[in-house]
Parts: sequence; structure tokens; C-alpha cells
Amino acid sequence: MFIHIFKYRFKSLIRNKSMIFWTMIFPLLLATFFSLAFSGLNEHERFKTINIGIINDVNYQSDIAFQELIQSLSQEKEPMFAAFLMNESEAKEKLVSNTIDGFINVGSPMILTVHQSGFNQSVIKLFLDQYSQTYSAIINIIEDDMTLVHGLVTSLEEGTVYTKAFQLSKANPDNTLMYFYALIAMSCLYGSFFGLREVIDIQADQSPHAARVNLSPVHKLKAFIYSGTSSVLIHTAELMVLLVYLHFGLGIDFGHQYGFVVFTTFLGSVVGITMGAFIGVAVKGGEGIKSAICIGVSMLGSFLGGMMYGDMKYIIDQNVPIVGKLNPINVLADAFYALYYYDDYERYSINVVNLIVFIFIFSIITYRIIRREKYASI
Amino acid sequence: MPVFKLCLKIFKQKLPVMMIYVGLFLGISLLIAGASKTDREKGFVQSKTNISVINYDQSPLVAGLINGLKEIAHIVPLEDEPSTLQDALYYRKVTYILRIPEDFTEKFLAGDEVWIEKTGIPNSIDAVYVDLQVNQYLRIAELYKSQSHMDSATIAEHIKRDMEIETEVKLNGGDEVKQDQSYAMFYYNYLAYSLFSVLILGISTIILVFNNQDLRRRNACSPITASSSNFQFILANGVFAVICWAIMVGFCIIFDYKNSNTPNTLLFLMNSFVFTLCAVSISFLVGNLVKNQEGISALTNVIALGPSFISGVFVPQEFLGEKVLKVASFTPTYWYVKANNTIANLNSFDMASIRETIGYTGIVLGFAVAFLALALVIGKKKQLSQEA
Repeated sequence: MFIHIFKYRFKSLIRNKSMIFWTMIFPLLLATFFSLAFSGLNEHERFKTINIGIINDVNYQSDIAFQELIQSLSQEKEPMFAAFLMNESEAKEKLVSNTIDGFINVGSPMILTVHQSGFNQSVIKLFLDQYSQTYSAIINIIEDDMTLVHGLVTSLEEGTVYTKAFQLSKANPDNTLMYFYALIAMSCLYGSFFGLREVIDIQADQSPHAARVNLSPVHKLKAFIYSGTSSVLIHTAELMVLLVYLHFGLGIDFGHQYGFVVFTTFLGSVVGITMGAFIGVAVKGGEGIKSAICIGVSMLGSFLGGMMYGDMKYIIDQNVPIVGKLNPINVLADAFYALYYYDDYERYSINVVNLIVFIFIFSIITYRIIRREKYASI
Repeated sequence: MPVFKLCLKIFKQKLPVMMIYVGLFLGISLLIAGASKTDREKGFVQSKTNISVINYDQSPLVAGLINGLKEIAHIVPLEDEPSTLQDALYYRKVTYILRIPEDFTEKFLAGDEVWIEKTGIPNSIDAVYVDLQVNQYLRIAELYKSQSHMDSATIAEHIKRDMEIETEVKLNGGDEVKQDQSYAMFYYNYLAYSLFSVLILGISTIILVFNNQDLRRRNACSPITASSSNFQFILANGVFAVICWAIMVGFCIIFDYKNSNTPNTLLFLMNSFVFTLCAVSISFLVGNLVKNQEGISALTNVIALGPSFISGVFVPQEFLGEKVLKVASFTPTYWYVKANNTIANLNSFDMASIRETIGYTGIVLGFAVAFLALALVIGKKKQLSQEA
């Protein structure tokens, strides 16, 4: 009996084009769009050599210390500045066309000309400030004791670095990943369409199909579980396709715990399907309203879980953590995030328990409502 | 006008779904409007990044260092809890975390090797920026220290005086405050998604209904001439499109009334209207391609959402990769967004300055004509094959 129900259910589900589009094709498309749109974001954050112009006048030619400094800075492997000598009118032109971020009139004081405020411009200003500040400090010191000059110069040339990098985690804090994690979570919850379908096809008052199924001499719960198994199989398979595409096609990093990632996705699929079943039995009304609620819950959940605006998740977690705990998309996304970014399993385990609680609650309620329903007339 | 009325009835039926798009759009726009209410300051403004300092050393030297950092950063208080710090860094609430050990000043003055632990986003410009300031402060401190045996407070005092020296920054093109069109730019860009979705939903639904074979046959034998029926049909769609456009654009002027009384607004209006035309012709095409209502909602998401991602609606164009933009340039959305971006930066409105904008808008118009032609051809073919 299991094989019979399972097989025909499988065939019928896989031919539902609209459902397959929303639960598989749509997430794949969205993932592609995300990847296209976000690929440049990390690049944008990275430090790139800042182009500056230096007005090549008498002042510059006579300031040998500054010349040397500029030269030494430009020679590093990944230089902070690339300096170009030019005259003033040329510099202004390049400034407007964004070839350089600013140009310097050497002298005391130095004058920096920029076209707009920004990070690169601020770095140049800070650099010039520091040049003058160091100069002032040296003057201050040698006013007291001329003999110190030599020591000062060597100390400056050393350019001691007083900071040492420590990473909090082995993983790179790449915040575009959150969008993809939330996307997987959303696809998991799209499993609710499958769950909803299952309930509509087993509750005799909701579709003619279900009325027919109820007449057959098969235990209702068994029929429900058997056909539900094929929903879980199809949906999990779809999600695996998504995972494979994300990882190998788009190069999304999940950390190294692939087993856990697959397990979490499977749990997510079950959460989605049981949630759909729960909505199917708990909401009174037509199929239209029920699927609208499924879409609404997934969309609101994705928004709060950071799929449309990445910071949303953080805002919720910081201010109203309870909302995050009640949102399956947030919990799922957080589980992927914890696997990727955290070195221990504490946060991940809490999320997994949270997911299992969801499954448990949805299943119990669905079971309580479905069982022993008898119809005098429909 | 029975055909016209029928069209309105169908639009009405689709109203709830369309309202979701409009409502969502306006909600997000309001949120952004609230968030981006920063007054533009005159002249050059030093950029500040967000950092966190976990300090276990209460010496005057370190206090001076933190004060020096305030010049270039906002200091965000965070608990010294690994997960709190990790989360804050991941979501860029802070871009740099400094941890100053308890015995830092002591060891520093004694000349031992000491360092401040930093955690940041590797190779980011923020990290470079903060590094510059931290090292600068401590290098000057080192200079003073090497000179004589000053105590930490005297050193801090000296550095404070040195660090008051600032470079003069001139803004090329004067210090005048430009019109702030950044909100309008965001709003009109976002329109490319919401208005587009609403138009496809509404118009293609109507075409789907009218393409129904039985209905078409029934209409053909009604006493209304084909030209009158077609005219009413086009009129209804036109009215629908213009109303949608007017509502959405109207809200922008209400939200951003301060900056709306400029020639930029006129250009924005023109550009978005041309884009509306283009969206209408794409909707015609969609209506002629799909077979059922489910197909429309699927296609809406692909056609309106896809180009929005790669053309700079959700993520600004300057953040997108070159190749992505190349692909995007095959969609009208890309040119529409490009036109908006140039309009936002316009200060003078003679022919030479607006030529670029007009060019981009012209491309969108070209797309509109091309899609309309395609829609008409496909529509005609479909009709002929139905009748055959």
C-alpha cells in the first residue's frame, strides 16, 4: 500500500508545474540574481590604492622629506597611494573626471583639494594631517634638545606598527552570505505549498479528491503519512539542487560542515511542509486564502530574516529576539550563519532544537485536527 | 463604453494584489526617507567609521588615544562577549574592534614590545583608515617617550596639541550646497520594480481575458465596431497605466516636497513616464505569451525582479560588476536607472548638460517601440492560429 500511494502521489506532485516553479525554479532564479547583484559588494569594501595628484611646483621640488615619503609609500607592494606629478589645471580636470581623489599643494601648511567628501579623501587628509603633526612633534622635541634629532629620525623610519590582527572566527565576515542563507530558508518554507496540498487532498470537505480518498479502506493517517513522504522527498530533492547550485554554481561558502548543512536543510523542508499542513487545517476558507497565507508568512518571515534587507535580522535579534525565535526563516538562516561563522556548536544546536520544536508543534496540531474527522454530509 | 467598463472591472478584481506591491513600495520608501534625513553639511566632511574599543587600561595615554580616534570614528559601546562582537562585525555595526590590554601603557613606557589587538574586516578601507590613526598616535607617543622620561599624562597632553594641526581642504567648485536629489533618485529607481510589477499584473491579465477564444468570438459578433472596441481597449489600458504612474510619482513629490521644486523633478517625471510606456508594451507582450493566470505571476517575478537586481535598482550600479552591467544593458531598466542617476546629479539644464539624460531616455523609448512591435506581431499570429 505504501508503495502504491507514494508512487502515484509522487507522479501527481511532480506534474504540478506551478508548484515546481515556485519551490524550485524561483529560488534558483533568485539565487542567480542575488549572486549577480552582490558579487561586487565585497569588492567595493576592499581597500584600493588611492590616486593623488601632487602639484609639481617649487615648493614640492624643495621639500625633499615629503618627496621621499611619497616615494616610499608608492613603492610598497600594495601601496596606499599612487602619486602623480601634474600642474594645477591638469589636476582639476582629473579631479572632476575622478581619475584622482584629490591633489596636494605642497607647502606649509599643505593644502588638499578634493571634489567631494568621502573615505578616500578622508584618508588623504588624515595622511597629510599626520605628516604635519609628526613634524610639529619633532620641532617640539628638538627645541629642547637638538642632539635628539638623529634618534628621532631612526625611530620614524622604523614605522613601528602597534596593532596586531586577531580574527574572532576562522570565517571571513562576508555579510552578503546572509542573503543566500535567508534565501535557502525561504525555499524551505515554500515547502508549505506541499503541506497545504497534502491537507487539501486528504480533508474530505476541501476537495473532491479528498472525499474520494476518504472513501477508500485505507487508514487516513497512513494515507496522509505515505503521501506526505513523497512531498518531503520531492521538496528535499529540490532544496538539494538549490544547495548544489549555490555552492558549486555560484561559489557560496557554507563553511566546511556539509553534513550539518544538508541536515539543517532537510529539517527546514520538514518545518515548511508541516507548517503548510498546519495552515491547511487551522485556517478556515478556500484554497486561495490558505496559499495567500503561506506566501504571506514566507514573505514576512524572509523580510524579518534579512532576505530583502540584510540588517533587518540584526535589528530584530538585538531589539526583539523573541520575534526572531518565532520566525522559522530567521531560525534557519541563523543556523546556516552559525555553521559558517561560529567556531562552536552552541548557537547552532539552539537553532536546531528550535526547529524541532516547530515541527513538533505543527505536527501535533495537524494530527489533532485531522484525526477522527467524520462527515455526515459534505 | 462596454469594453472600457469591462477592463476597469478586471482591474478592480486585481486590485488587492496590486495594492500589496504599491503598499510594500510606499512602506519601504517611507522607511528609507526616514533613515536618510541627514543634513548636508557645507564644505568638506571627514568620514567617520564605526569602531568599538574594549579598553582595560585607564591611563591618560590610552584616554588620549581614544579621543584621537573620535576624530575619525564613532565609538560604539559593545560588551566584551565573543558572539556580540562577532555579530556586530558581521553586520558591519562596527568595522573595527580594538582591544587594549590592561598593562598596555606600562609596557609601552617601559619600552617592551606591546600591541593592541585589532579585529576588522580584512583589507577593508575602514581598517586602513583606523590603523593609520592608531599607529600615528602611538608613533608620536614613542617620539616623546624616547626623548625623556615623561609620564603618560604629559605625553598625552603633548600629542593632543600636535594633533590639533589640521590640513586645509578645499572643495573644487566651491562650497555651495547642491540640491539633494538622492532620495528622489532612489525612489524613481525603485519605481522600476514596483510600477513594472503592477503594470504587468494588470495589463497582461486583461489581455489574457480578451485572448480567450470564446470571448473573442462573442465580441466579434457584437454590434460594436472592431475599431471602437480596440480604441476602448487601448484607452482603458492607457488610463490604467497613467493612473498607476501618477499615484506613485505623486507620493514621491509628497515625501520629498522640499527638493521637488526643481527642473530635476521634471526630468524625473519625463523619464519615468517613458519607462511606464515601455512597461506597458512589455506587459502587452507578456499578456500575449502566457497561457494562464499562474504564468503571469511567475513571469512578473522574473521580468520585473530580474532586471531590477542587475540594473542597479536594489544595489546601486557602481557596486555592480562590469560584466553584470553589460548583461543588464540589454534591459530597459538599466537605461532608465542610468538616466535617473544622471538626472540626480544635474545642476545646469542647458541642452548640452541634459543631452546625456535624453539619450538614455531615448533608448528606453526605443525599447518600448521594439517590445510593442513584438507584442503586436505575436498577438496577431496567435489570433490567426486560433481562427484557423
